[in-house]
This record gives sequence, structure tokens and C-alpha cells, in this order.
Amino acid sequence: MGTHVKPLRRILEFLLIYACGIGGLLGIKAAFRLSDYLIPSAGELLTTAAENGWRYTEAVADTAVVAVAGHGFSILLAVTVAFVGISRSFLGALTKTAAYNLQAFPVVAIAPILFIFLGDGITSRILVASLVCYFPLLLTFIGIFAQPVEDVEHFFSMTGRLTRRLALGIRVFENAGKILAVIAGSGTMAMVGSIVAEFLVATNGIGYVIRKALYQSNLAHILVSLFFIGLFSSLYISIIELMGRAVQKRLDPVEDTPA
Amino acid sequence: MTPLPIPHAPFPHPGPRRRAVILILCLIACLVEALSACNARKTRDEGQGEVLTLRLKWLFNVSTAGELWALDKGGFERHGLRVLLREGGVEHNAIKEIELGRAQFGIASADQILQAAGKGADIVVLAQIFQANPLQWIYDETRFTVQDVSDLKGRCIGITYGGNDEAIFSALMERYGITDRDVRLYAVHYDYSPFWRGEVDLWPIYRNVEGVVLAEKIQANGGRAGFFDPGAAGISFVANSLVTSRLFYETQPEKVRAFTEAVTEGWYEAMAPQNLHAAVEIVRLRDPETRPELIAEQITATRQLVVQPGRPVGTIDKKAWKETAQILAAHGLLDRKPDFTRLLAGPPP
Repeated sequence: MGTHVKPLRRILEFLLIYACGIGGLLGIKAAFRLSDYLIPSAGELLTTAAENGWRYTEAVADTAVVAVAGHGFSILLAVTVAFVGISRSFLGALTKTAAYNLQAFPVVAIAPILFIFLGDGITSRILVASLVCYFPLLLTFIGIFAQPVEDVEHFFSMTGRLTRRLALGIRVFENAGKILAVIAGSGTMAMVGSIVAEFLVATNGIGYVIRKALYQSNLAHILVSLFFIGLFSSLYISIIELMGRAVQKRLDPVEDTPA
Repeated sequence: MTPLPIPHAPFPHPGPRRRAVILILCLIACLVEALSACNARKTRDEGQGEVLTLRLKWLFNVSTAGELWALDKGGFERHGLRVLLREGGVEHNAIKEIELGRAQFGIASADQILQAAGKGADIVVLAQIFQANPLQWIYDETRFTVQDVSDLKGRCIGITYGGNDEAIFSALMERYGITDRDVRLYAVHYDYSPFWRGEVDLWPIYRNVEGVVLAEKIQANGGRAGFFDPGAAGISFVANSLVTSRLFYETQPEKVRAFTEAVTEGWYEAMAPQNLHAAVEIVRLRDPETRPELIAEQITATRQLVVQPGRPVGTIDKKAWKETAQILAAHGLLDRKPDFTRLLAGPPP
């Protein structure tokens, strides 16, 4: 039952936060009699939503597809880099340094290089999205892969059956909750990443809508865009959480069984 | 043995209720900070602040030469003003800064001004800095030439969707009966490589800034830069102008008049051919990455846009403003037609 309620709760929470934000803005607008140019009126927001709602839904869906693909790629990238990075070889150290350095560079500075070689298509957008969200995943994976679960590993170690693969399996299994939490959290960052990519180069997606609105100083369009971004992000995170719970339940059915 | 009483900790760990109170206090502090920023507008508009802030449209470059000249050569001081110039950008909209009281004056493009006025921002245009819009399209003349608008047919043209060039080019297409089938439009971003690869034939630029830099690069690659000017094809779309709030205009007319004079004089002097070297130095102080000879070329290109024969610097071309408003309205970018008499009032008499 609880697993069915949570997505709805997340969306309701988002709606509440969004309504508070908009309410606050409109309150400030009314208190200081600010123009519609600075803060749009409620009427303008509703008109913008009514006129562009479907177009923005499509744009967010487009962004979400890129975000999901970028998120998937980032998980793959983080696992690979963490796997190579934990080894004590020269390659491992180099990979780890490169991964950390890459995070130190702003994506907006790296993106143009990607666009030169990969063009302004979906590949670049996915790559930028994954670059934005891979780092927390990488840190988590490195932490988990490198940290032995002494209680369990000791037994296999003493019996001489502990292989590297088994050790990693134990560490992943024991930290499944942590991994799922960071995957769900980085989902939001994947959405941000794909919006950044669209902002920089694409001609579709909600990032492109925001870019155009910024050029025209049109806050109404930006606020309505934020609504759809928030709604889709809440939905996406809820889905990941649901999937995570399902996986966890399968891995450890005892934990979810009521006493 | 009686146990010693445990002393109270000097800073006890806050309980849930106390944490909630702290959180609420933090939220109130944030709200007060936001409100005080808005409130600053009133106090500054009443003229209590000594330093007047001018929010520019863009970063310091040749398009701000007049304001920089007025600042560095004592133009503002001669008019009894203390002025702070602040760089602009996409995230710094001068009109919004004026409304919030963070600036008393601003440089904004005509589309920003008209859209703001159309949405109830009570602002006044004091001077029109650019008499001709610097927005043009660059191309390599060794590949093809654009003598008139019909030469654009069959070409791939870069457009910044959401930018001025989209509205200008759409107006051009409508006026000359060019359809989507006649040209290919390419969405321009920060990356110029599609232009260098020849995938895009004409690229939108500001003639006096990127135009000069790209022309040099085209020449270095064995080409010759050509420019397509929509203004020459009869499209009048006003660019940067000096604005202030109606409130400041009405309560501080002397300051507004003095400020407008200082800025227009600054532009006049910065654009004077005999002051070229000094103007280059002033721009270069804030834009050290650009070579002096390139800045000199940029100033020469800017002069043609700012100084026009028979027109004092800063003249407000009302006919061009009305055409700009028509173009914006035709593209659904103008909610309400502004009161041009109020908006384009110029400096106080």
C-alpha cells in the first residue's frame, strides 16, 4: 500500500512547495506593487500555462527522455570508473584523478568541445546530462567498492573463497539501500544536466524553452516551465524509488515482511 | 556517596520544537531580506543615495564606450554626479534592476523596454544610444554575395530563437515575401563551428563587436567578410537606449537631465575620430583580452551606428520605435501597445 501512496505524496509535496513559492512571489508583487514585467500576474501565469501547457509537457517529456538516458549512462560510467578507480594500479589512479578533475571543470566549458565532435544532437545532450549527475554516484560507488564489509567478508576470507567479484557483490548487496538512495537523488541532477545541455545547444526540450524565455525576460514562461520540470522530476524520482523498493524487496524479502 | 549533579550544557541540543522555531526564524530573515531589497527602491528613488547606479545592457566592451568615457574622463563629475557602472548580461536586466531600486538608470534594448512598458513597468526612455541597430548577419563574400534580400533565398541562415534577430528576420521575411521553403533556418547557439564548417551561410552578429572579430578570422582563412544589414533593407528595429523610472524622472529631474547629458556627451566624445586612441585605452582597461587594434576597428564600426549626420547623439527615433513595436506585436511579443508619448519622453526639459 505504502509504495502506491508515495509517488502521489511526492507530487502533492511538490505542488505544495510550488504553490508556496508562487504565492510568495505574488505576495511580494502585491505588497510592493511591482509590474507584471518583474513578476507576472496570476492571470498571466494561468494564460501562459493554458496556451503553452501541452507544448511544455512535450518539451519536458523530451528532456525527461534525455535525462533518463543520461542517468542510465552516468550509472554505467560511475560503476566503470569506480571499478577501475579502486584498483591500486597506475591506470586506476589515473582514472580516478581524471574523473575527479572532470568534475572540477564547469560543464558549460566542456560542453562546446563535445558539441564540436558530437554535434548538437541527442548524443551530446545525453553526455552532458550524465556528466552533471555522475559524480555523486561515482563517490558512492568508490566508497562502497573500496570499503570491506568485515563481518561477512571475514568468513569467506578465512575459508579462502573470497574473490574480488564476490567481495564487490557483498559490498553492493550490503549497501543496496545507499546505492538506491543516491541513484534516486542523482535522477534530479540528470534532469538538471539535460536542461543545461538544451540551454547550451539544443533546439528542443524544456531547457530550450527557458533559454528563449530568458532572452525575452519572460518570467511567466520560466515559472510555468519550472512547474512542469518539478512535476516530471517528482514523478521520475518516485518511479526510481518504487523500482528501488522492488529490487530491495527481491534481494531481501525478510526485511519487508511484517512482523 | 551522593553523585555529583550533572551541570546543564551551556548550549543544549535543540529539541524538535526549538528546531522548528529556528527554521521559522531563518525563513522570516530570508523574507525580510527579500522585502528590504524591494523597499530599497523607494528610499533610493527619493534621492537619498548619493551614488547613482547605471546597469549596462552587456559586459564592458566597445558597446559601452560612451558610458565608460563619461566615467573615466570626468563627464559625470562635471555634471555633479557620482556614478557606479555595473555590467549587464542575460541575467541582469536593467529595467528589472531599476524597478527593484538597485539601479537608477539602465541601458536596455528597445524590445526589452517595449515589453516592460507593455507589462506596466513605468519607465522613461532618455536617449537612444544606437541610431542604427548593430545586429547584422555576417557571411563570406568569396562564397556568395548578398546584394539584396532576394539573394538570401536558398541560403542557410542562423537565427537566435527568442533573440532580436528572430523577430527582425521574421519581419524581413514577411515584408519581402520570403517563405520557410525559400531559406533554411538554423538555431544559433554559443558555438560558431557550424558557420566555420560552412553549414550555415549567414550568422547573426553584432556588427561592431563580434562582426569585427569574425571578419578578421574570415580574412585570416582567405575569405572576405560581407555583412547583411536588415536596416538597409528597411527594417527599423531600435537597439540600446538609456532608461530610468518614471518616479525618479519626476522626483529628480535635474539629476536625470544631467545624467542624460553626461552619457550622450560621453558617447559623442568617445566616438570622435580624434579621441580614438583615448577611447581604445578606456575600453581596453575593462576588456584586456581584446587587442587594441581590434578595439580601434570596433570603435570605428560603432561610430557609424551611434553618430549619424544631422542627428545629435542620443536622438530618439520615434518612427523606428513604433515600427519596432509593430514587429514585436506581430510576433506576439508585445502584450499591450505602450503610450509612446510617455515612454519616449526624453530628458526632462
